[in-house]
Amino acid sequence: MKIIKALFSALVVLSLVTAIVASPQEKSVLGTAKKQIPPGSKIYIAPMKDGFETFVTAGIIKKQVQLVVVNSRDKADYEMTGVSETDKAGWAKMLILGSDNSNEQASIKVVEISSGEVVYGYSVHKQNSYRGKQSAGEACAKHLKETIAK
Amino acid sequence: MKNINRGLLCLVAISLLCCVVSAQKTKEEPKPVEEKIPAGSKVFISPIPEFDTFLKDAFKAKKVPMVLVDDKSQADYEITGASNSQKASTAKKLIMGSWHSSEEASINLVNLKSGATVFAYSVHKSDSAHGKKSTAEACAKHLKDRIESK
Repeated sequence: MKIIKALFSALVVLSLVTAIVASPQEKSVLGTAKKQIPPGSKIYIAPMKDGFETFVTAGIIKKQVQLVVVNSRDKADYEMTGVSETDKAGWAKMLILGSDNSNEQASIKVVEISSGEVVYGYSVHKQNSYRGKQSAGEACAKHLKETIAK
Repeated sequence: MKNINRGLLCLVAISLLCCVVSAQKTKEEPKPVEEKIPAGSKVFISPIPEFDTFLKDAFKAKKVPMVLVDDKSQADYEITGASNSQKASTAKKLIMGSWHSSEEASINLVNLKSGATVFAYSVHKSDSAHGKKSTAEACAKHLKDRIESK
């Protein structure tokens, strides 16, 4: 009898642990019908100021984001647009902080071309960006990766 | 009886471990499939203000196994990109004691048949010893590594 009880409790524990560990953890917020970007989708990155689109593309490749970057909007499922701004270090910053790193800020949004719906938006501000636009581009790519459906 | 209970406990512990390991395996993110860039492919370098000539020279210096062409219609791949250069200001020279410029560049290699970006790389050098030449050679070096990696 004890063996049966022990086996039953073991099975219950096992099924509970499996359910907790294997189930995908959904992070949803009420009131936001959030569409996910399917992996392997084709994305077109529209030209941005100072060629920031190439830095975002490099970030997407480096961070191994599950998207295919295409060079034409016609071939794409999604379009990314955005702005970026660089604030170079002035003499006061160099004198007081001893840093010649620039301040970078960028903002991107991803639109589903078929519906025109904005499915993703992200903005980044980096003070003393060690690698300039590269850091901002990679931050955008990293956070985009987190939103792609798995 | 005690032996049976110990055996059961061991069984439960092993099965739990198996569950955790299998869950970890399922959590592994799929990596995007990298398209092979065949050596000897023809590449067209789009005009990048004050950078494309450095990139062409870097291709020769680093012996990148690609053929540079002047006509986009003859090419298999196209390189687009952006580059920014900031010469050392007086403040940088006096305070930081550095005469070197700050350089950043980013390139994208696009397959002209599929329109997909197959390689992208960005580089930032805060004290570039050889200015644009350094960033161009960094781009060429990493492209060469990518071609020869498979």
